[in-house]
Amino acid sequence: MRTILITFSLLICFVITSHAGVEGVYGKGITLSEVTPISKINDHPEKYVGQRVLVEGMILEVCTSRGCWIYLSSDRPYEKMRVKVTDGEIVFPVAASGHTARVEGVVQEMRRSKQDVIDWKKHLAEEKGTTFDPSTVTGPEITYRLRGLGAIIN
Amino acid sequence: MKWRHLNRVLHRDLGFLCCGLTLIYAISGVAVNHVDSWNPSYRLTRIESNIGSLNKVPQQQLIPEILQRVGETRKLKNVFPSAPDEITVFVEGNTIKVNLLSGETVQDRYVPRGFLYEMNFLHLNHPKKIWTWVADLYAVGLFILAVTGVFILRGKQGLIGRGGVLTTAGFLLPIFFLWLYL
Repeated sequence: MRTILITFSLLICFVITSHAGVEGVYGKGITLSEVTPISKINDHPEKYVGQRVLVEGMILEVCTSRGCWIYLSSDRPYEKMRVKVTDGEIVFPVAASGHTARVEGVVQEMRRSKQDVIDWKKHLAEEKGTTFDPSTVTGPEITYRLRGLGAIIN
Repeated sequence: MKWRHLNRVLHRDLGFLCCGLTLIYAISGVAVNHVDSWNPSYRLTRIESNIGSLNKVPQQQLIPEILQRVGETRKLKNVFPSAPDEITVFVEGNTIKVNLLSGETVQDRYVPRGFLYEMNFLHLNHPKKIWTWVADLYAVGLFILAVTGVFILRGKQGLIGRGGVLTTAGFLLPIFFLWLYL
């Protein structure tokens, strides 16, 4: 009985004092070696639609509910790229924000009607716990994102 | 019969062996199942405040000044100029977004939930590597536990009686929900 108690106490102490880092391989990892600058994709996203690319940047924001998307900083100031991953397949930890990452995936074009844009932005606001004014949406939108397949967080 | 004794021993020992992992997967399972309502791994807090304009603060003093004004002493991770007049500072456990002109500041603080963070870390297979094999072996263990479990009792309490009814109910439950939702 004493051995069990000691083992259990040690286990609790270990769990309390140790927190696993966020660095590591996520999803299917990386297979490409050449990095495509995000600025280059942002300049002509339509050219990259359907292409598998490797991008690199700082993780600016992480989905706080499911860890299913991140924003990656561009190599050009003030720019970023949205990376969406399949729920549960890759779960980005909240603590990954501020870390640099390489993400491999396929560039996707998202065409949304005005109502879809409203619904989507409302959903994002709810996730972030912020407010959203539907009147700010003026019409349908085309956005581009990376469907993330694998990542390495440093 | 000899095989019944072996079945009982296997069920008993696997039960002991799988106890810890079953508790981890069960607790984490409930936590992750309600991911729409909360973050099962982190405790999140948003703090909005105004720390005053930083317009006249010299560039090299900017980050220490922001950290000092929000009372942040933890390790600096990174900095990102999110807009011409806006900067985002990443420290361990906090993301601080500051409008340099107005001083409007939003802090998104996060603290790993004790125990749950570690349980979810294992449950969601973040470690990968050898843990994947451990989890697979555990799944095999659960399979054996389930199969040996139905043969523990004989007669009216076993498969041909009460046990059979409960086992059938256990199979019908997922089938019912598949019929309902698919």
